Amino acid sequence: MKRGLAGYVAVAACAVFFALLPFTLSDYHRGIAAQVALYLIAILGLNVLVGYTGQISIGHSAFMAIGGYTTALMSHYHHTNLVATLPLAFAITFVCGVLLGLPALRLSGVYLALATFALAVSVPQLPLKFSKFTGGSAGISANRIVGNTWLYEVAWSAAAVAFVFTWLLLRGRIGRAFRAVRDSEVAATSSGVTLAIYKTLAFGVSAALAGVAGSLFVLATNGFAQPNEFSVTLSLKILIGAAVAGLGSLWGVVIGAAFIALLPTISASAPLIGSTHGQDVVFGAFVILVMLLLPNGVAGLLLRLSRLRARA
Amino acid sequence: MGRKGRFVAALAALALVASVAASAAFGARAHRLDPGVTSTTIKIGGTFPLTGVASLYKVIPAAESAYFAYINAHGGVNGRKIDFTVLDDAYDPSKTVPLTQQLVEQDGIFADFGSLGTAPNLSIWGYLNQHKVPQVLIATGDSYWGFSAKKYPWTIGYQPDYPGEGKVYGKYIAANTPNAKIGVLYQNDAFGKNYFAGLRVGLGAKKGQIVASQSYDPTQTSLVQQILALKSAGADTLVIFALPSQAITAMVTATKVGWSPQIFLGNVSANPIFLQIAAQNGANVNGVISTGYLIDALNASQANLPGIKLMKSIISTYAPSLVPSMNGGDANVPYGLGAAWTFVYALQHAGKTPTRAGLMNALKSMHNVKDPFLYPGITLNTSAKDNFPTEQEILTKWSGGATGDFTAFGKLYNGVR
Repeated sequence: MKRGLAGYVAVAACAVFFALLPFTLSDYHRGIAAQVALYLIAILGLNVLVGYTGQISIGHSAFMAIGGYTTALMSHYHHTNLVATLPLAFAITFVCGVLLGLPALRLSGVYLALATFALAVSVPQLPLKFSKFTGGSAGISANRIVGNTWLYEVAWSAAAVAFVFTWLLLRGRIGRAFRAVRDSEVAATSSGVTLAIYKTLAFGVSAALAGVAGSLFVLATNGFAQPNEFSVTLSLKILIGAAVAGLGSLWGVVIGAAFIALLPTISASAPLIGSTHGQDVVFGAFVILVMLLLPNGVAGLLLRLSRLRARA
Repeated sequence: MGRKGRFVAALAALALVASVAASAAFGARAHRLDPGVTSTTIKIGGTFPLTGVASLYKVIPAAESAYFAYINAHGGVNGRKIDFTVLDDAYDPSKTVPLTQQLVEQDGIFADFGSLGTAPNLSIWGYLNQHKVPQVLIATGDSYWGFSAKKYPWTIGYQPDYPGEGKVYGKYIAANTPNAKIGVLYQNDAFGKNYFAGLRVGLGAKKGQIVASQSYDPTQTSLVQQILALKSAGADTLVIFALPSQAITAMVTATKVGWSPQIFLGNVSANPIFLQIAAQNGANVNGVISTGYLIDALNASQANLPGIKLMKSIISTYAPSLVPSMNGGDANVPYGLGAAWTFVYALQHAGKTPTRAGLMNALKSMHNVKDPFLYPGITLNTSAKDNFPTEQEILTKWSGGATGDFTAFGKLYNGVR
């Protein structure tokens, strides 16, 4: 009962904090805070796959590209309401994720990593191939540019929905099945978990969240989608965010998202290191530090703290 | 959904409502002066590839900063000093966007000046126009900027555009070697295709002389297959619309496979330093034809031009680290100086207390303006209907191998667009 209460308080504190935050931020910082929300959604998605189901993916930039292009193309050609493109991106990338989950059934470990890497490399080539429709390397724009306040509201609302959705999904039977698959496929199968269904489902959900994050990513870049934005480094960024957050836990995700969204911006304006090289060095150094000091990420730290308190 | 679930959902809904309400509280503030302008300074900024694949171009913002330092040392513009912020986007639009937001919303710039690259500029095109921030003298030769002035009134380029330049080569070939068998190598994107389209227009009735065309993707490093295909199609004239590294590779490869066509080289890759590198790697570059529109520090016949003298004095005083580039003939140096010169010219004509609208008006009403860093005879001309500042080019031909240079020949081509 006590643990449950702490959970309520944490959720309430988060909700109030993010609802009141825009009052204290400048327009520019509202834009950056919106970036945190979109990375939060992407990391949530990756966490479902990597943290809870034990499957690796470095192909999530590809799903973000599919989601992002969904938003840009629908808005450009059909003037679709931008908010309406988010569930559309969710649906389309869900299907793509399930499709990728099928070959992933036969792959694991480094082979699965390579297969998803191939996806990350090949998907950004598609807009170049179909450049008449997608604008090719010149990119394509949504028919409207959104302001930072709009972006903040939509991104954090989407993040809240995604968080609750993921939480509800993982706390019940499906989450248990995911964890069983992660811990031992043989044991899971013998307890009646159908591997094929749960693995592809995990891929689908994970990809769908990445797709929504991709839509928001494009909206945050002035509605402009271009192949270079979705390089494999974006995948790695999300993976790093997930590692910082701590795999297999939802609470660290906010910190992980803040880490990848804010650190480059903060270090860019720091004295002495205010260059791209400097930013990369600081980012890398922090990743190494986090891995050394918090091998299980922020989630691991939270767990250790709560154990300490229980002992005291 | 259990009790806990409903509670969480309710909180999420609460957060949503509260943040929507939050937005209504923010309104615009009125300014007496335009953003970025104070009684003593004018703040401008731009994004450039200081690192990454296109970092050879980092010379451009360095030369621009040198020119502004020179102007500031001489009293600035109407008593205001120019404060130019250079940010590194590594030629990556996903970095250009937040950096530009930082410039506009955080630093409060008066104008986005000189930002480099087609895709980076496309990514901030709508945003800057929506916020009515001038996006001026941008370093890209695509024709979007010129042709879309009605929809995007706050944007203007600087250099001659790619399709227009392609047309020049087409006209020259049709007039001088009408029976040439033409092979075309182009980058498989908007940049390469626009150039190629211009070439076909310039050739007119002679466009049937194109016997083969080959494209490559920007990440490709070997062009052996493409060069062999063009050679075996019987081409005796090779037109290259490529970025520097692929242009160098193409010329080296052609010589290595024993093919010596007449080469036409798009201006973006016709910086003398690139031809020198190609020659050092075994390419026969003598006779390569390109176009120019800037002054050239290597060319002895231009040594007495006021622009050359001004360039040498500014660079040696305000950017000594650029002296080797300048003396090596790097066209990025006069390019940066020329763009900065044009910006200062427009500021001087934007009113005693410059406004954003005044700046755009000045840039769109230039009549025979003599930018000293442009090739003699080339002037800047714009109007309400003409959003292309530089529309003249001169053909140039390379001689002297690895230590050579381009020399202008023939007459100035007008109406390049």
